Amino acid sequence: MAADPRDPGEQDASSRRKILKIGVGALGAGLVAIPLAPALGFLAYPLDGAGVAGETGFLAVGKRSGFGADVPVRVDLYADRTDAWNRTKNVKIGSAWVIEVEGGLRAFSTVCPHAGCAIDFDPAATKFTCPCHRSFFTLKDGAVEEGPSPRALDTLELRVEGGLVAIRFQRFRVGVVEKVVV
Amino acid sequence: MARALDWLEERVGYRGWARGWSEEQVQGGARWRYTLGPTLVYLFVQQVALGILLASYYSPSATDAWASTAYLNDQVTGGWFLRGLHHHGMSAMVVVAVLHTIQVVLAGAYKRPRELNWWTGLALGGIVLGFSITGYTLPWDQNAYWSVVVRAGIVTSVPGGEWSQQLLQGGRELGNLTLTRFYALHVFVLPLLLVGLLWAHVRLRRRHGVTPPAGLSEEALVRTREPLWPRQVFMNVVAMTICGGALLAATISSHGAPLMAPADPASNYMARPEWFFLGLFQLLKYFNGPLRLVGAALIPGAAAVFLLVLPFLDRAPTRRLRSRVGALSGVAALMTGLVTLTALAVAEDAGKESYAAGVAAAQKDAARARELALAGVGPRGGVAVWENDPEFQALALFQEHCATCHTLRGKGGEEAPSFDDWGSRAWMAAFLRAPNEKRFYGGTKAHHTMEPLSAEDLPEEELMAAVEYVLSLRGDEAGALDAGLVKRGQALWEEKLECSGCHEVEAGKEGTGPTLAGHGSRAWLERMIVDPTAVDLYGEGAEMPKFGAKLSAAEISTLAGLIAVERADTL
Repeated sequence: MAADPRDPGEQDASSRRKILKIGVGALGAGLVAIPLAPALGFLAYPLDGAGVAGETGFLAVGKRSGFGADVPVRVDLYADRTDAWNRTKNVKIGSAWVIEVEGGLRAFSTVCPHAGCAIDFDPAATKFTCPCHRSFFTLKDGAVEEGPSPRALDTLELRVEGGLVAIRFQRFRVGVVEKVVV
Repeated sequence: MARALDWLEERVGYRGWARGWSEEQVQGGARWRYTLGPTLVYLFVQQVALGILLASYYSPSATDAWASTAYLNDQVTGGWFLRGLHHHGMSAMVVVAVLHTIQVVLAGAYKRPRELNWWTGLALGGIVLGFSITGYTLPWDQNAYWSVVVRAGIVTSVPGGEWSQQLLQGGRELGNLTLTRFYALHVFVLPLLLVGLLWAHVRLRRRHGVTPPAGLSEEALVRTREPLWPRQVFMNVVAMTICGGALLAATISSHGAPLMAPADPASNYMARPEWFFLGLFQLLKYFNGPLRLVGAALIPGAAAVFLLVLPFLDRAPTRRLRSRVGALSGVAALMTGLVTLTALAVAEDAGKESYAAGVAAAQKDAARARELALAGVGPRGGVAVWENDPEFQALALFQEHCATCHTLRGKGGEEAPSFDDWGSRAWMAAFLRAPNEKRFYGGTKAHHTMEPLSAEDLPEEELMAAVEYVLSLRGDEAGALDAGLVKRGQALWEEKLECSGCHEVEAGKEGTGPTLAGHGSRAWLERMIVDPTAVDLYGEGAEMPKFGAKLSAAEISTLAGLIAVERADTL
């Protein structure tokens, strides 16, 4: 069956084949679109800010008298939390280092600004340190003394009311020079 | 583009492979009845894609399954639609698989040399039902839970069933392990089995070609044969489109898949399986006691065996319908039986009022639970969703702050008045007769100063008039009043009763007992909770602590509302 393009019957057949081909393509594309189009919005849903939502109000961490100069105290922060379908009351959402500086209290996030490891206190060196990549920070203002951290430790808002200390917990982007809330 | 394809061709050689597929010769020409198998493949591929999407939100644990399903269905963009497609896609697979089987039986495509096509096809059908059973369980709603309970019961009725039931559900009790196992089966084991069998099924189909009508001569088959591409492929895609369109319509018109209230082992529930299992469900009803095995295993087993050995039962050398009457009527009888049983199951439920009422109650529960789930579900599992209910929260608040001294709905302390029916006419009448009973002020330390009014002091009808008058002081919240009684009560109050010695009836005035203006209204209850030592309430002698500083205004209003709804007759 050698195809002869001059044969009108063969030309008819070839245009019919073309229509069928287009039909297969168009219908097939339509079928793929049925689940694919809504899938995009479905998968992107958490980008809207849905997902984990932590409490960012001030969270009580203890009495003023529990904190002093020289040795920082690590406090855990508890709040109600919504995690996708769960709502959990009073769960640990993070922690902070609290230290007295020139009579006032300061709170630092325990998240290292370099890569997000947990900041520790080194009592021998009297410095904050990140055990993952060996960054060191001053106790007084969290400034970088040594190591790869791109910025000082992130301070958290703190207030003292009626002898009680409360901290506002926030997370910041790691690995960048500026302190930007996540 | 062309260069990129050439590059790929040189390394992969896909063109020869594609040509091999598209140039397959369809003996006797393209036909619509060959489109059912490809449509099943389309449905399966779509189910896999949808399943992966759903798995990106679903969490297979007894505590999370319902909440995550409710979340993906009711909150995530397009979630109801994708879950609906997946749900109805299952039904579509069953429908098309049955049509495909009927087509194969009519064409005689189970006969030699296609026995293995037939058996792999039957196995594929079994896997499809396996998908349905495991998938039905995953949302862990009432449907899911009770369907597993019933199915587990059926499995245990078969010899050796107890062991396989425990293996499947992960121990003696339903729970986390049931879901992780069903999930593993649903997303790993069954898809792998299906893909393997499908591969064999399609290879065998290609080896033996299509099964054209038996009446066509060899010569006619050759004369009318044509390649798969493009006509048969086009017809396949048209069939898929019809199926996809129907699926789309079903999903949109039903607004997705049902999701009932979270699994609750302590509830009553009218458990029904998926529509295509209703026939088997009905069959179970006819066999009781030791005969149970007949309905649960023997009859369905015999039907399965009949289908499996069909190629041996039908040994006629031709595929012509006339020479296969026996085999065909066997399959027809099987189908008729199944359809009849299904119709009986539907008719039985349709005629039962109790069933309709049960379904309505279950749907109301489901709607409420899903509404409450929007605020997030507590970590204790699906049923924790009810904790979001304001009434549950009000009761929890009462439990925490009031129940040490007060009783509500039969539970709580007795050091202070009980709130059961508190403030109703019956309550007030009983109170006036015996204020120092345990359920009134009997349990308090100091509030014993009110004198009981005996029937001699105040006959029953006068008592009710006095009650009506005191009730009228409640204002708008008193409900419908008997004006004549109120008037008579007021006269009694002013002329005969000695109540006014301690109780004032005008707002703001103070007596030794609580002022009765507004008594029992929500506003009055709120004031009582805030500060019972107010001079127009119980004054300095009040035993109840002040809650004004301890509770928020909203909490106080919630508690007042809770107490106010307890009285049966005035609201």
